[in-house]
Amino acid sequence: MKQGAFVFVAALLLAALPVLDSPFVQSMALTCLMYAGLAVSWSMFSGPTRYLSLATSAFFGLGAYCTAWGLAKLPWPVVIMAGGLAAMLFAFLIGLVVLKLRGAYFAVITYGLGELVKHSITHVEKTYAGTVGRVMTETPSSNVVYWTVLIIALLAVFTYVHFGRSRYGHALRGIGMDEERAATLGVNPMRVKLIGFCLSAWFAGALGAAMAVRWTYIDPNTVFNPFIVFQTVLISMVGGPLTVAGPLVGALVFSLLSEFLRLSLPYLYMILLGVLLIVSVLYLPAGIAGHDWRAMWARVRRKRFGKELRDE
Amino acid sequence: MHTLSRRLTLQAALAVAGLLALPGFAVAQEPTVKVGYTQSRSGPFAPGAQTTQEPNYLLWADQVNAAGGLNVQGKKRKIELVGVDDRSDMETIVRSYEKFMTTDKVDIILPPWGTGANFAVAPVANKHGYPLVAPTALSQKLVDMKLPYYFVTLQQPRPMMQALVDMLAANGIKTVTVAYMDDLFGLENIGALEPLLQAKGIKVLDKKSYPLGVKDLSTMLKGMKAANPDAFVGITYPPDNFLITGQSKEIGFAPKIFYTAVGTAFPIYRERMGKASEGVMGMGSWNPKMSKAAKTYFDAHVALNKREPDRWASAHAWAALEIIQQTVEKVGLDRKAMRDHIAKTEFDTVLGKMKFNGTEEVGVPGMVGQWQNGEFEIVWPPARATAKAVVPKTWN
Repeated sequence: MKQGAFVFVAALLLAALPVLDSPFVQSMALTCLMYAGLAVSWSMFSGPTRYLSLATSAFFGLGAYCTAWGLAKLPWPVVIMAGGLAAMLFAFLIGLVVLKLRGAYFAVITYGLGELVKHSITHVEKTYAGTVGRVMTETPSSNVVYWTVLIIALLAVFTYVHFGRSRYGHALRGIGMDEERAATLGVNPMRVKLIGFCLSAWFAGALGAAMAVRWTYIDPNTVFNPFIVFQTVLISMVGGPLTVAGPLVGALVFSLLSEFLRLSLPYLYMILLGVLLIVSVLYLPAGIAGHDWRAMWARVRRKRFGKELRDE
Repeated sequence: MHTLSRRLTLQAALAVAGLLALPGFAVAQEPTVKVGYTQSRSGPFAPGAQTTQEPNYLLWADQVNAAGGLNVQGKKRKIELVGVDDRSDMETIVRSYEKFMTTDKVDIILPPWGTGANFAVAPVANKHGYPLVAPTALSQKLVDMKLPYYFVTLQQPRPMMQALVDMLAANGIKTVTVAYMDDLFGLENIGALEPLLQAKGIKVLDKKSYPLGVKDLSTMLKGMKAANPDAFVGITYPPDNFLITGQSKEIGFAPKIFYTAVGTAFPIYRERMGKASEGVMGMGSWNPKMSKAAKTYFDAHVALNKREPDRWASAHAWAALEIIQQTVEKVGLDRKAMRDHIAKTEFDTVLGKMKFNGTEEVGVPGMVGQWQNGEFEIVWPPARATAKAVVPKTWN
């Protein structure tokens, strides 16, 4: 309950951010929230099942294209819903096939299907619309985009927690530990995985739909950018995908840190970021949120001050 | 104790390194002119941005500061470049420019590289009332948005394709095959090209498109070889230029005129393609033989950046900086005044006279260039030509 209250207060503060009237702070928060939403939704499925999905970019891009197609004709909330549903539908269709695969095969095929969607959209656009890039001129204000992304991210957190506690959440964790055993115990793995996969896809699609209007112009290469899924997976890993706090902390730390380093050390930040990632993977295997900091601190104290303590 | 002192040494060293990284406090009398921009130093846009655009920004700041600073209505003020990597990522680009304009409140912003990035930044700059003079944006749709604070120095698809078709007709070309990239650039150019070809009675024997990141085009090129056209027109950019040129040579597709659009004017095209580049035509605007100003610019670019500028948009980037510089000298740093001055003035630039009709620059005509003995000669239109077109292209 304490956590619930904390999230509620944080959400209120974030919702009031436009009062500051600082576009940079707001777009920084927007990036944090976007990655928080993506990482939480990714962790929703990939955390408990340990299926490494690289389809996030495809979901995101599909959502973005829904906005490009529908923005002029449909109201904004409908566009966002449609973006999420398109991603969900895609997840359902590919899920029927790819969720039978495991490990590296699953990762590779989800990535490959992302490329397939990208090229299919290019082809459809070229053949039937005679264009590839889409220009969006009548866009909602940046505050509306910000609040939309905030709501989607909050929904993702809410869903993560409640889905995790439900029958399906337990079943997903069971599948992650041992799929055969879970099946023997009466879980229908395909059905449960499909539900989890589709649910997580909705958020990535909706976020893509909301973010697309920020760039005025989109083409397949900007919105089906593999960078988006790599960053999402990294954030979840660094934060720790097994608790909802993990991807949230990961998104906050990673976005702020990479932005700070990029602006203050423009020629060195990539190297520093790489080193930090290696260090966190080596020393924080369960992620920032999953790490047992107390045990680590106790160990450090014993090593460093052990002698002095005994002397006293 | 030993480890502790070693750690302290390390911390001290880091602290010193950190201090060194801080910008030095200059004791200048006049405040600096802060110039904010993002360029791609990593990601897919980096090769283009680092060939065509950022070297010019660095050269400009270096030259202006060496001469005492930027002339702001008679007062010399040093330029302080605030340039960051945008990782070729749209959201990072938008966010960085918002920071420049609202938090840092820089005096001037310079545009990012590429059409997509310009689409993203132009409306934001317009909203905050910052004039933006862009060298690397190529889209009629962007021009049609009619943003009052946004200007493009590069020739748009229509004039470039007009020059190409006029050149083809002047060389007695009757038939062509066309390959183009599946993106906004490819489609807008092909849209401009086809009616122009038709008007001149040039027949298109084959027309094919291909996706970005293609690895093999030999089947397409073999089909075009079978059609046996007088000329080949590729609406392409790197790295496909290398692929198309290399594979055409391999399969012996040797039309009289071989045209590949963007990036043909890059020095790296000449270096990578070697003798095969000889006689290839492409989009270009200038070379060091064109004028004394062009030669001076070329030499300064090579001296500072240790590499040649490209023979198309590099000079448009330089011209954009010249326009900013002349504007600031005349009207100072008031952004509304700058915008009005840019919109209505004719400027003297490295590419000759430039002036804007809305967003589009209309002083410099569309041109065609051709590699001849290691230089990208301008071969069309005759008024701008630095050499006569060599037709047919030699293939061996």
